[in-house]
Amino acid sequence: MPTLTYLQAISSALRDELRADERVLLMGEDIGVFGGAFKVTDGFIEEFGPDRVMDTPLAESGIIGTAVGAAVVGMRPVCEMQFSDFISCGFDQLVNVAGKMHYRQGLAVPITVRLPSGGGFSGGPFHSQNPEAWFMHSPGIKVVAPSTASDAKGLLHAAIRDPNPVCYMEHKHLYRRVKGEVPSGVFETPFTARVARPGSDLVVIAYGAMVPVALEATEDMDGASVEVLDLRSLVPLDEEAILDSVERCSKVVIIDEANATCAAGAQVAALIAEKGFESLDGPVVRVATPDVPIPFSPPLEQAVLPGVDRVKEACRELLAY
Amino acid sequence: MSSSPTETVVDVTMPQMGVSVAEGTVVAWRVEPGDRIEAEATICEISTDKIDTEVPAPATGVVTEILVPIGETVEVGTVMARIATGAGAPAQPLDGGTAGAPTTEPSSPTTPPRPAATNGNRRYSPVVQRIAAEHGIDLSQVPGTGRGGRVRKQDVLAFVEPTPVEEPPLHIESPYRPEPVAPAPAPVAEAGDGLSRMRRQIGAHMKRSLETAATCTTWIEVDMGRVEAARARLGVTALAFVARASIDAIREHPAMNAWLEGEKYTRHSDVNLGIAVSLGDEGLIVPVVPRAHELSVEGLAARIREIARRARSRQLTPDDVYGGTFTITNPGQYGSIMATPIINQPQVAILDFEAVIKRAVVVTDTDGNDSIAIRPMTILGLSWDHRALDGAVAAQFLATVKRHLESVP
Repeated sequence: MPTLTYLQAISSALRDELRADERVLLMGEDIGVFGGAFKVTDGFIEEFGPDRVMDTPLAESGIIGTAVGAAVVGMRPVCEMQFSDFISCGFDQLVNVAGKMHYRQGLAVPITVRLPSGGGFSGGPFHSQNPEAWFMHSPGIKVVAPSTASDAKGLLHAAIRDPNPVCYMEHKHLYRRVKGEVPSGVFETPFTARVARPGSDLVVIAYGAMVPVALEATEDMDGASVEVLDLRSLVPLDEEAILDSVERCSKVVIIDEANATCAAGAQVAALIAEKGFESLDGPVVRVATPDVPIPFSPPLEQAVLPGVDRVKEACRELLAY
Repeated sequence: MSSSPTETVVDVTMPQMGVSVAEGTVVAWRVEPGDRIEAEATICEISTDKIDTEVPAPATGVVTEILVPIGETVEVGTVMARIATGAGAPAQPLDGGTAGAPTTEPSSPTTPPRPAATNGNRRYSPVVQRIAAEHGIDLSQVPGTGRGGRVRKQDVLAFVEPTPVEEPPLHIESPYRPEPVAPAPAPVAEAGDGLSRMRRQIGAHMKRSLETAATCTTWIEVDMGRVEAARARLGVTALAFVARASIDAIREHPAMNAWLEGEKYTRHSDVNLGIAVSLGDEGLIVPVVPRAHELSVEGLAARIREIARRARSRQLTPDDVYGGTFTITNPGQYGSIMATPIINQPQVAILDFEAVIKRAVVVTDTDGNDSIAIRPMTILGLSWDHRALDGAVAAQFLATVKRHLESVP
């Protein structure tokens, strides 16, 4: 199995889909001639031509709206938002048009919206956000967030082949930091959670860039057996896997890189309170970014984002409870 | 009060098995009055109009009485038996029997009594209370090691069983499965049970198909040269190409993608493709790739690989084997070249793809010159139901599959 970075795995999935299925096409700002702001689509326009690797105007509403139309007539468009923050300009097309099409007209909208998200590199308030919860709250849209190279590829294949609009949250901070063995060829990763490390005394539930943070923070917890559950998919949320981990571990720490209020982790906490109550041996603890925009200043940014130390401290506190 | 202060009586009630089930019948008792039983061990078997199931004991203790005889049907919530738990006094009186007479109105018929959530200054978490209730433990006796002497889950588990690692699981194992891993070789010792039942089911199904359908089989020879080249390039199996070609041919001959159930004939627009997967000695199962027409050759190859892996590691769900509209069987790896497959009811056709073998065949070039060439050939066999269609359609369908396979880019 080849070893790929998270970014190469995303490129590989896109390339394989373009080769395998002529209905697949890419749209986005500077993804063609320039090869994408992060070079995910570097060299694509040479192989697949400008009709399938389309440079678009700086108009997210136009990108997603065009993709919805193409999807309705049978194409499988993959839209790149240059930064996930810019999705707010395409919000109406995604939430009100794509997400409701099936319910109103019975039409499938198999679009994938790639959302390079997250902070950690001093990108400031407009290039560091984690907007996944906006779309979790909006019916008709699936939301996935890989944390490994292999899942980056498998979830993207599954997203492109899914008949629903899928928001694919790719974390910029993982692009070149995460490497791993990735099976070659097309394979689909199911929209379910994954036990990143099994344990029995406490479970840390995370997704995206918070998974490596959770693994590092809990590697050595003075002999305690700490499980790490990688959600991978936020919609649908793998309730069975979450409740199974809670049942076995009885103590839960949930991490969000997103702002705390109404984040994905808040939904997980609500689920556990409702359906996992009788398994709990302590309060459900959340670690998240406070409800402020992401600061540009590197020390300030490091202070607001959940890091290894904060997660370690939260786990220690709860284990001692 | 005749019951001793250290004894609590727990009711065993007819459980609620689903919203639509109002009553159940006792089929068997596993205990007699006076027997000791562990919490969660099966105390009796019940049957409802939907399912048969086992009832776990709500607490550890001694069965004092059995109130519902075998064969009797009672409403959900009815007390079927009582268990006296011996260990530990509850913090306050619970619904223990009074003066030897059964309590006429149990306070909470469906759940075992719980210890109080607080005891003096101590507060207990939900999981601690539940474990204590299941084992009839007085939590005031449990030493706490948590913050401020709080009783933690591990404390109550250690109190129940000094070696908590050997504690039997409190709950049924979750069906959640982590990351896909290569299936372990089927354990030989476990082959016994499933074998005969699966074989019986296959046998009944096959016999019923032959008795129901007017089965005919038609064959066609296909030059697999282009497929062999393409599959080497894409790294997928020839089966995926045959599957894709069959789906394309179904588009031209939709009569192949149908169900015939008695008089009822239904043509399907979706192609839900069944793929026969051998489970070795145990038998055979036909998981379904739903909406296979939406998949490319690579997509089909991946899905076929995935369902075969799940079939062999016994991870298929009932949904995975339901709803097939056309089936392909591919037993060619041993070199066999032809078969007469049996139709998977209520479908109307099944395609058999056997070995690809190099043969000397006559080929004609673009100028019309004949020569003998070595070509990788296969024989595709289609068993079809003469009730649903005629031989000409079967032959046309096979010719279309052949055309697609011989023109693979």
